[in-house]
Amino acid sequence: MQNLNTTFIGIPISSPIVVGSCGLSSTVEGIEKLAKAGAGAIVLKSVFEEEILMEYEKNVLPNVGPMGNDLEFFDYYDYQIKTEVLNKYVQLIKEAREKVSVPLIASINCRSTSEWMAYAVKLEEAGISGLELNLFRLPFHTSQTSEQLEDEYITIINKIREKVRVPLAVKISPNFTNLVNFARRLSATGIQALVMFNRYFNIDFDIKNEQVISGGAYSNAAEYMLPLRWTSILSNRLECEVVASTGIHTGEAAIKMLLAGARSVQVVSAIYKNGPTHIRAMLHDIDSWMKEKGYESIDDFRGNLSQTMADNPEIFERVQFMKYFSDHKA
Amino acid sequence: MAVSPEFLKAEREQPWRVELRSKMKNKERTALTRVHMNEVDARERILSNIEVNQGLNQVQAMAEAQRCLDCPNPTCITGCPVEINIPKFIKHIECGNFADAAKTLKETSTLPAVCGRVCPQEKQCESQCFYTQKMNAEPVAIGYLERFAADWEQNSGQMAIPEQAPANGIKVGAIGSGPAGLTFAGEMAKKGYDVTVFEALHEIGGVLKYGIPEFRLPNRIVDVEIDVLKKMGVKFETNFVVGKTANVEDLQEEGYKAFFAGSGAGLPRFMEIPGENYIGILSSNEYLTRVNLMNAANPTTDTPIISGKRVAVIGGGNTAMDSVRTAKRLGAERAMIIYRRGMDEMPARVEEIKHAQEEGIEFLTLTNPVEYLADSQGRVSQVRVQKMGLGEPDASGRRRPEVIEGSEYLIDVDTVVVSVGVSPNPIVPDSLPDLKMTRWHTIEVNDDNLQSSIPFLFAGGDIVRGGATVILAMGDGRKAAAAMDEYLQKNQ
Repeated sequence: MQNLNTTFIGIPISSPIVVGSCGLSSTVEGIEKLAKAGAGAIVLKSVFEEEILMEYEKNVLPNVGPMGNDLEFFDYYDYQIKTEVLNKYVQLIKEAREKVSVPLIASINCRSTSEWMAYAVKLEEAGISGLELNLFRLPFHTSQTSEQLEDEYITIINKIREKVRVPLAVKISPNFTNLVNFARRLSATGIQALVMFNRYFNIDFDIKNEQVISGGAYSNAAEYMLPLRWTSILSNRLECEVVASTGIHTGEAAIKMLLAGARSVQVVSAIYKNGPTHIRAMLHDIDSWMKEKGYESIDDFRGNLSQTMADNPEIFERVQFMKYFSDHKA
Repeated sequence: MAVSPEFLKAEREQPWRVELRSKMKNKERTALTRVHMNEVDARERILSNIEVNQGLNQVQAMAEAQRCLDCPNPTCITGCPVEINIPKFIKHIECGNFADAAKTLKETSTLPAVCGRVCPQEKQCESQCFYTQKMNAEPVAIGYLERFAADWEQNSGQMAIPEQAPANGIKVGAIGSGPAGLTFAGEMAKKGYDVTVFEALHEIGGVLKYGIPEFRLPNRIVDVEIDVLKKMGVKFETNFVVGKTANVEDLQEEGYKAFFAGSGAGLPRFMEIPGENYIGILSSNEYLTRVNLMNAANPTTDTPIISGKRVAVIGGGNTAMDSVRTAKRLGAERAMIIYRRGMDEMPARVEEIKHAQEEGIEFLTLTNPVEYLADSQGRVSQVRVQKMGLGEPDASGRRRPEVIEGSEYLIDVDTVVVSVGVSPNPIVPDSLPDLKMTRWHTIEVNDDNLQSSIPFLFAGGDIVRGGATVILAMGDGRKAAAAMDEYLQKNQ
């Protein structure tokens, strides 16, 4: 086996395959399986403030009895739910720590700045190796400018940075007006890694019943091209690590991301589809390719095709097909 | 326990009620104005623990009783969780038959002097009064009249000891001596059982003593009721934590055949925000218990409480009001309520809010703490709060609090009392692994008889309801006693 060591949020890890935040890591047994299959690090399932608030609204408040006699009991029950959810998460971290040696990264998604801070502090106390901020909110406010939204994200990171000392990763969406500029701003906050990109819940329509339904949950193997472009563009432009995510289903896709300059890659959908042992298969493919190419370590080839290193850097900035379609015959 | 319309109609048609109604026209009755409760002036009362409400005198009570129309369909009763025969006791007051009024109350309410002081009548019986429902006018002061009749009985020296069935020698235990446990004990003693009440603290009375301050509910009011129970033969074991001092199995070996768990909701909740463990931040449970039961306001005691000069109380319920008003009485120069919603959304009784305002309590509404800061000694020195807005109504019908980003500011504090709710006491459930619990950590019971998943264990009050009014807890004690009696008789 070639040397597959790399780092994630500055922490040495034994393979570049990091399991992204997902339900597979919501139990100790699941975490053990992922670690055994060769994951370099595991990002635990995100704690969502929104889920806590939804439970409060849907399952708690309707229980307020007649004449509101128990309103005092339920008035702040959202905080009780939060406490229970975080305590359960902390328990998972502690139990998993006993079983596996790979770094365990907590993941959070909050609505308000103050809650981001509170969750981060609590999870740091639990002994996590690092924290991933699942930083995205669908921008609904018509009066909020993109700059204001970006400022809000930066404020959240700075506040968390003030309170916690564990390494931070920030996972973002590709939907920013000037991604390069914003990525640099994020990196300048002192985060250790920028994860590109998060994949979100999609909606779809059932035209037979004319209903809104949830869209496909998994990424497909062609989706890797978007993160590939941006990893290549940003990997040598940021102080922090760049971690590629979305559509990485094969060892080949992982190799491409490493060539683009990613320090590691996050994989979820392929593991859901093929099981934890798929990690082993991806690592095998990476190893075989490295042997074939004569690379002894990942550092030997990382970033070879990043924009700054590539022979044709202008291609990364091309977005229009131009002559392609006029020449292309179906 | 439902009162049938036929029964109420028959009672209403009794000659003395018919005659009373004929003495005054409804127009004359509705023209009377609602009585005002006599109160100690705010400037005076904040200097001591004197009871704020002083009760009605006989003239006031009889005048207020005249306002009651003795409706053919007394909707007020539907607002009372234990269905007190409200028109009947009020009409007794109008006649000057105060003993009969008290007797009517005690037909369904064990602790009327307590309920007359702490029940939220404005949300219960008074909200269903004809005046409120049909005339958009101030309701009959049912709560004030309840208190009047109950106090009259207590002060008359004629506290009746209820009739009791001959002793049957069957030992039963009540776990907790709050309103549910006391009511249960009284009801079982009436049925001839050998009742022992196990109380974890050194004082009997549960939340009535440790939770509600003297200025709202004087201990002597509760003690009178406890004395009656003692005269009925009820035994009290204080400093006895069931599940720790002895568990249920140990007590069964001593001959106890069944138990009623009324151990309340004594587990404080916190917000889990940064800095919440700093010195000077405590729960309302701890704060009130230490002041009310441990004389902690006295600096010469072993464990005095620090009388903060800038006290912030987080929350908007009655417990928060009790805490902040206690802080004022302990000398706080700035005593503040910090509440994330608006005044209209507060769960506290309107009267408690009014009293607090009169006493100079500051209300920082639409404000929520996000972090505490401390001095070099680890003692809380500031709270960082953020402003909140109100969004659409949530499932409770109240407008949802929403964070206003960038609105944070600091407030200097030296004491913080967190009063954001309590959870049921876990000690009894933890000692009984087979006991089924709900998602709210309350004991799961059969609604019809309050029997738990362990057949010999019945439960009621806050440990079942999470949060209950005194009168609901009492109702549970009464219902469980009837059910336990039936259970024991069947299983003898």
